[in-house]
Amino acid sequence: MKARQNGRGSNDAPHGRESDSLSGRLLAKLMPLNPRASGTEGGMTVVSARSSEWVRPVTQQDPASAIIEIDRVSQVFKTSARKNHVALSDISLTIEEGAFVSILGPSGCGKSTLLYIVGGFVSPTSGAAKMKGQAITGPGPDRGPVFQEFALFPWKTVLGNVMYGPRQQGIRGTEAEAQSRALIEMVGLKGYENFYPKELSGGMKQRVALARTLAYHPEVLLMDEPFGALDAHTRTRLQNDLLNIWERDRKTVLFVTHSVDEAVFLSDKVVMMSKSPGRIRQVIDIDLPRPRRRNELLLDPRYQKYVVDIERMFDESDEAGAPA
Amino acid sequence: MSAAGMTKRAAPVLACIGLLVVWQVASLALKNDSFPTAIGAMRAIPDILGDRESLINILASLRRMAMGFGAAVLVSIPLGLLMGRSAAIAAFFNPLLMVIYPVPKAALMPIIMLWLGVGDITKTLVIFLGVSLPVIYHSFEGAKAVEEKMLWSGAAMGLSPVQRLVRIVLPAALPEILTGCRTGLVLALITMITSEMIARQSGAGNILFNALDMGQYETVFAMIIIVGAMGICLDAIFEKVRARLVRWSEPQFDMPLSFS
Repeated sequence: MKARQNGRGSNDAPHGRESDSLSGRLLAKLMPLNPRASGTEGGMTVVSARSSEWVRPVTQQDPASAIIEIDRVSQVFKTSARKNHVALSDISLTIEEGAFVSILGPSGCGKSTLLYIVGGFVSPTSGAAKMKGQAITGPGPDRGPVFQEFALFPWKTVLGNVMYGPRQQGIRGTEAEAQSRALIEMVGLKGYENFYPKELSGGMKQRVALARTLAYHPEVLLMDEPFGALDAHTRTRLQNDLLNIWERDRKTVLFVTHSVDEAVFLSDKVVMMSKSPGRIRQVIDIDLPRPRRRNELLLDPRYQKYVVDIERMFDESDEAGAPA
Repeated sequence: MSAAGMTKRAAPVLACIGLLVVWQVASLALKNDSFPTAIGAMRAIPDILGDRESLINILASLRRMAMGFGAAVLVSIPLGLLMGRSAAIAAFFNPLLMVIYPVPKAALMPIIMLWLGVGDITKTLVIFLGVSLPVIYHSFEGAKAVEEKMLWSGAAMGLSPVQRLVRIVLPAALPEILTGCRTGLVLALITMITSEMIARQSGAGNILFNALDMGQYETVFAMIIIVGAMGICLDAIFEKVRARLVRWSEPQFDMPLSFS
């Protein structure tokens, strides 16, 4: 899997963008669950606020390029007249092109806020996020969100929803319709083109939302607990379908979840966050073969070890009491 | 059609007939000049509708009502939507509207008449004021309730703030806006008649009160029926249009509501 992913990365990025940033890469995909987060300087490192605990020397081998760089981002919300809530504290994270990265953490750890900052929907209190070297100042079609709440346009049919983005991009009606119909078929909703969102189940709505976002060809998919509102069975099916779709074109995905299973099953890399203030606790590379098949993976001891180890780390931090 | 379906269809007609029967009986029993029989009042309807003068009056009323209603909707929907999406705009207009809201618009008529005369402008303005508030309020509530994530989705597709207001907030709030418009339509009819009662010069209200002055009680009751029928028809037409526009938001009742 590693070779494949790396090969893919180098195809997508003909040359490393900045040599100095490459030097700071974290990689070492040797053993599962080697806690690692590099504190070295350079844009492409994953740095947690408590990264010193995890610093280890890394050597550069992987020429994949960074698509999203989050640099010392903090977010403070005013909860009441006198209280400030620190949702995110000094987050630095680099996401490589073509990677499936999950942000995993308990509710209230600011993981969705981090995603909204990358989406440009929320401006960070301090720090900056960059997309392909450009500072993110607002939403744009290069970053396509998929929300837990689906956020479909209820006055549009399934087809109308999916066509909305391409039409906005100035694609001709007939062409946009043909593309959209193909996407609707890809997400398994052929025959439902003329249904309104309220006529669909939760799982179907999320399929439409995914197709609607894929329709305008964002370079990065920003998925905010997309399967959080679905029942277990539907959730499993959508995870499988998402993986199948993703394995076709390997778009960069930033995926927020609180489910350890989901994060391990889907991701190349899991960013574990801790709560109040939201910080990166650890970044874990998930070295499992692709294409991943659920029935194979659930029996795979490596998968099981990732899940158990990550769960244990969350338990430990809970027992340790309030995080620093 | 099933027996239950037939009953359901016939029910409104039966209710109307029932009302007329009660009226007729009560009128015959009371034998009061100012309370004509139902049949007498209904006989007066063709006389009114056949009279050129009366028709011109009624049409003038409807024209003012349409103008007041249309202008109010055109101003109130954008204002309400802006208030719903901008805290600053809401903070500016909310206190103003709170002051104007409970004031009966007809109470403002003497002043408006003083300034603008007793013509069309005054009456249209009163209708405008009467319709505006419910439409603003419902547009405001509807815009406020629009899911943030829906707007974010639009923003990610590249919609500008103005485009988001017109192409996301407006359609998303449309069911609520149309609820306000429906209330506004009935209020337009009420303020129309009220304005013609106060500034008696022309219109349906004018016919009604002239007839009252002259003791033509059958005409008075006939006019009440005509105005009432106008209201019912306008509301029914509006409801048809509304249901069509927001079909996507209506809950569907394809489940039988009873066990019969």
